[in-house]
Amino acid sequence: MKTMFKGLLIVLVLAALPMGAAAQQLFDFTGQALIPGSVGGTLDMYGEIFDPVPATTPIPLDFANYQYTVVVNAVMAATGIVRTYSGGTIAIYEDAGTAADYTNPATLSDGTAILLGTFSSFSQFVPPIGPGSASGTVDWVGGSRLNDIAPEDQAGWAFLSGTNPNSGLLEPGYDEVWDGKVEPTTTIVDTENASMSKVKALFK
Amino acid sequence: MKRIWSPQLFVGALLFLAFAVPVSAQVYTVDYFGYGWEQAPGPVKAAGDELIITCTADNIDPAFGVDLGTEEVTLHIHGLISAGPVDMGGYLVVNYTGGFMEIYQDPGMNADWGVNPPNAVSPGTFSDGALFFAGQFTSFTMYFDSSGSTGSFSGNLDGLGGSILGSMCTNCVYTWGGVFTTAGSAQIPLGYDFQIDGVFEIDSAVDTETTSWGSLKSLFK
Repeated sequence: MKTMFKGLLIVLVLAALPMGAAAQQLFDFTGQALIPGSVGGTLDMYGEIFDPVPATTPIPLDFANYQYTVVVNAVMAATGIVRTYSGGTIAIYEDAGTAADYTNPATLSDGTAILLGTFSSFSQFVPPIGPGSASGTVDWVGGSRLNDIAPEDQAGWAFLSGTNPNSGLLEPGYDEVWDGKVEPTTTIVDTENASMSKVKALFK
Repeated sequence: MKRIWSPQLFVGALLFLAFAVPVSAQVYTVDYFGYGWEQAPGPVKAAGDELIITCTADNIDPAFGVDLGTEEVTLHIHGLISAGPVDMGGYLVVNYTGGFMEIYQDPGMNADWGVNPPNAVSPGTFSDGALFFAGQFTSFTMYFDSSGSTGSFSGNLDGLGGSILGSMCTNCVYTWGGVFTTAGSAQIPLGYDFQIDGVFEIDSAVDTETTSWGSLKSLFK
């Protein structure tokens, strides 16, 4: 009975006290966007995600062996200094096959969709002079790595990006360079196996 | 004395001067993210406030020859003085005067924001290592959207020093821009006023390339 209680305690403590977390976590990206000419048109943004050292990605990614890309699609609902978008979706892909090439957008949307999300809000600030910014809120709803994020942490992620039509990085055929990040509202923590003595030490 | 004057040579010389061929625009980039604070207490972006930002690069042009796996590249921006917010009718613009940016290359890999800056690690761990680039802002502006908490920024710099100065291009154009959001967003370390994400660009679009007469003629074939 004593052994059973100890085992139960370990399970409970492991569930309640996942350990090990980096301070800052984000998916950091740089991309190219196609902006619709009018309301009702579709925004398409294709980007590449980089290893954000010394911060970390919210879920572990293998940058040594895979390339990670991000694709955003949304319908323009209003235009002006503030462009609003509806029905926005975001996808993060993991791919070791084809290198991302902006002249062929399909190379940024192939591979395994590890996270699929929807925007609950999404807008773009476009001042008449200077660069703009895009911001929104993402809820992750699918993808092969969705379960790496606890259900209570899957909603409400911040999407934030600079948007610049005049950047020297603008690729032919695109309208704006986007550089930004997607990040959780709280630190996403992994679980870690620990001995009973290690767990007990936490309470000393 | 033989032929001092040669019409062919004269025309050739003129063409050589006139057809220094512009090379394709080359842009070198440092992609970064980080956090900033204002030195003075009180409302953010008030006139007279000094803006200080510490960043770390997470992607850098291969042309720089830096391996971010073994060396960190950090940015320290300081001395930007706010002229105060100006209402542009639905959004705010804040111009800044002064300001410097230094970028460091450091195998120490010790960048740490800590909390309540300035502190024991910030900006110190962002301003150690070998000087990669130093510049002085000639302009810097922040654009706040109607919420007053999110927006974009851009600035131009004159290069002053650092290991890359003059090595990538001549007459380079240095620009620094990105997006920001003020405190209250996810994961911002305690005591910082805002977080930023953006790109430092070195643009060599104004460069020229010396070419031979043969190469020049081949352009017209």
